[in-house]
Amino acid sequence: MENFSEVLQLFLSIDNFIAIALGVVIGVTVGSIPGLTATMAVALALPFTFSMQPVAAILLLVGIYKGGMYGGSITAILIRTPGSPASACTLLDGYPMAQQGNAKKALKTALFSSVIADFISNIALIFFAAYLAKIALNFGAPEFFWLICFSLTIIISLASGSMVKGLLAALMGILLSLVGLDSVFGSQRLTFGNYNLMDSISFIPLLIGLFAIPEILEFYRKKIVPHIKAKASGAGMTLAELKRSLKSIIRGSLIGVLIGAIPGTGATAAAFISYSDARRRSPNKANFGKGEVEGVAAAEAGNNGVAGATLIPLLSLGIPGDVITAIILGAFMVHGLTPGPIMFQENLSLIYALFLGIMFSSLILLVVGNAAIKYFSLIADIPKSILFPIVLMFCVYGAYAVNNSTFDIWLMLVFGLVGYLFNRSGIPAAPFLIGFILGPMFEDNLRRSLLISHGDLSVFVRGPITWFFIALTFGSIAYALFKFFQERRAAGKDRQLES
Amino acid sequence: MMKKFLTVSSWAACGSAMLISASFSTAAVADWPTKDVRLVVPYAPGGTTDVLSRRVADLLSDELDANVIVENRPGAGSTVGTGRLARGGRDADHTLLMASPGHTIGAAIYPNLSYDPVEDFTFIQNVIDIPNVMVVPADSPYHSVIEFIEAAQDQDMAFSHSGVGSSIHMSGELFKTLTGSKMTAVPFAGSGASLPALLGGDVDVSFENMPTVYSHIKSGDLRALAVTSEERSPYLPDVPTLSEIGEYNLDQFVTTAWFGLIAHNSFPEEGYDTLKAALDEVMERQEFLDFAEQLGAQPGQVEGEEFKQFVIDDLARWQEVAEQAGISQ
Repeated sequence: MENFSEVLQLFLSIDNFIAIALGVVIGVTVGSIPGLTATMAVALALPFTFSMQPVAAILLLVGIYKGGMYGGSITAILIRTPGSPASACTLLDGYPMAQQGNAKKALKTALFSSVIADFISNIALIFFAAYLAKIALNFGAPEFFWLICFSLTIIISLASGSMVKGLLAALMGILLSLVGLDSVFGSQRLTFGNYNLMDSISFIPLLIGLFAIPEILEFYRKKIVPHIKAKASGAGMTLAELKRSLKSIIRGSLIGVLIGAIPGTGATAAAFISYSDARRRSPNKANFGKGEVEGVAAAEAGNNGVAGATLIPLLSLGIPGDVITAIILGAFMVHGLTPGPIMFQENLSLIYALFLGIMFSSLILLVVGNAAIKYFSLIADIPKSILFPIVLMFCVYGAYAVNNSTFDIWLMLVFGLVGYLFNRSGIPAAPFLIGFILGPMFEDNLRRSLLISHGDLSVFVRGPITWFFIALTFGSIAYALFKFFQERRAAGKDRQLES
Repeated sequence: MMKKFLTVSSWAACGSAMLISASFSTAAVADWPTKDVRLVVPYAPGGTTDVLSRRVADLLSDELDANVIVENRPGAGSTVGTGRLARGGRDADHTLLMASPGHTIGAAIYPNLSYDPVEDFTFIQNVIDIPNVMVVPADSPYHSVIEFIEAAQDQDMAFSHSGVGSSIHMSGELFKTLTGSKMTAVPFAGSGASLPALLGGDVDVSFENMPTVYSHIKSGDLRALAVTSEERSPYLPDVPTLSEIGEYNLDQFVTTAWFGLIAHNSFPEEGYDTLKAALDEVMERQEFLDFAEQLGAQPGQVEGEEFKQFVIDDLARWQEVAEQAGISQ
């Protein structure tokens, strides 16, 4: 490569190494504290990256992302509280293992499978991103329109629990995303004359409010202090166990990569799909859910496999696959970089420097994770009555810092209440958030397509890429409906048997 | 005892009176700045205005021998940050703002602003001018502005822009108004976001900022038909200006993305003089000229009253365009 020295120059900066290490440490720390998610940590860290070099800034955020993905498993295993939604699956077998005195084995299993999955995901990112970038230029407004349609259907089919509540949440998200200036005419929509709303509802205050505040409110409502203190004791993971789990880890990583590469899905789904796949194939099927090493390995491989791969649509198409990559997209923009095909043309050295950094972060994760197993469970022991006031302070600062706006603090608090009500009524926050993110993309690309074609609808079926995503969209809806009716029929049969 | 006390206190009073008058007189003569200077950027971090302001703040800190601190106050175009400056307040004598076309276009689109875009401010110096470039995709059938206009008399052309009220959008609307071309505005989220559409031929033309398209023009992916500034750009010496084409009322088409420092209208005169001298130094420094070159930009031409008149003219022009384009709210 002709720019190799430039890549090395960009990568071999002490700032980058500090950023990766710091990011992974922050991620693992935050991920291991229940209620503090990697998403929130990335959102809070964003304002601090404004003054950093672009490579270091992005690596810091990616480090937090990866660290958080693993860190969530620590508390999931030790106190049965997932540090992040994605690690909810890990506790199914991790917690029973800890109860049986194998906490250390569970933690090590989670770490090794996380690191292996992370590595596989990075490799996929480096190869698929370059490949996708070439065809990405054929992605015009109509192609994006269908891609976003497809992403929306994936969310619906993965909305946990009630489909109605999931759809309701997504629609509310889309409705809120309409607030602001109309992109074509510049007229105000739903701003009620308030100039603070003219630039639409700020994303980061919404994010912090929706996820962090309900945890705090919930704590003060229940006043329950986690009482179980499992020791991080026992033997580590043996080589035989690693060998036995390796197939599940690799399969889980690939599932994570596939799901991560599709915008709008996420690590939680990947973890559960990987877990159920491993369970289906394992000879120890009966032991799953009772402390099976392979179960922990599959779950963690699934969610960490997503981490590198979510950067594929981000880097090659400029489309964020989840909330964290949406924030990372913001960080790129802050540094005057537009992720997408253009960045591959204009900033190739920077991208390769990022790739090197991302590969390096897997190694850092192994080192930091090992140290974390020893010490980090202590941090999770800080009483919440001390922890949460500190968290609240950071929430207020984080909301304010984005736009230096006190209005955003109020916005954050209002969304805290919304998130709390969501929790109480069982409405999932994830579809709401995705609706809020994808809603404007849906609208803009729809209108953009029609403006480009001067109102000719045939623009929506203009080429193979549109056909492909139309097929995926309708296939995905059909599958969701099929599953829905199948489950209903099964439920009906159960009722018949009972009566 | 009493007498002694009186003497002491009268001496003290006398001394403090002298001190006070001394400090008054120094403040009145040369002592500006007396504290940190704030440079308000009415846009989010990372945009052209922000990047430019940070560079200028660095150099200005050197020349003034005082801290110049950049503060981002984004929102509603640039009107949130600008409105805040217009309200004045305690630090108004040490607060500057980096104004841009958003200052006049914003006021043209939203006539009900809480401030007067001209009378509420002191106009200090136009720091930098970035021309816009009229570009078409490399495989476009149009090789000159006239060819394009002739085709656009019957055929509706799509032009991309970076958001309602951006200089890119308003340049397109101005072109449409002056030449009577049929053109549809297609919005994208920010400068550069429309590049794939332009490179892929989904839109016919754009009036992008020079730094965004310069490399694509050089690589041959985009064809520059004209620049929007008054004189040809030294970076694209073979590309004509729109005003030199002359036909279809284009002689009236001169517009740049301008950036300049303004302050509250109560800004002290001594501050103005000191600042002006420091800015003159900054704008002659090699670092500044190199930076301008990176942006494909040129140092600003107007200052003081001239700058004010420039803003008045700019405002009047955009008011007319906003009216005709139907985007005046």
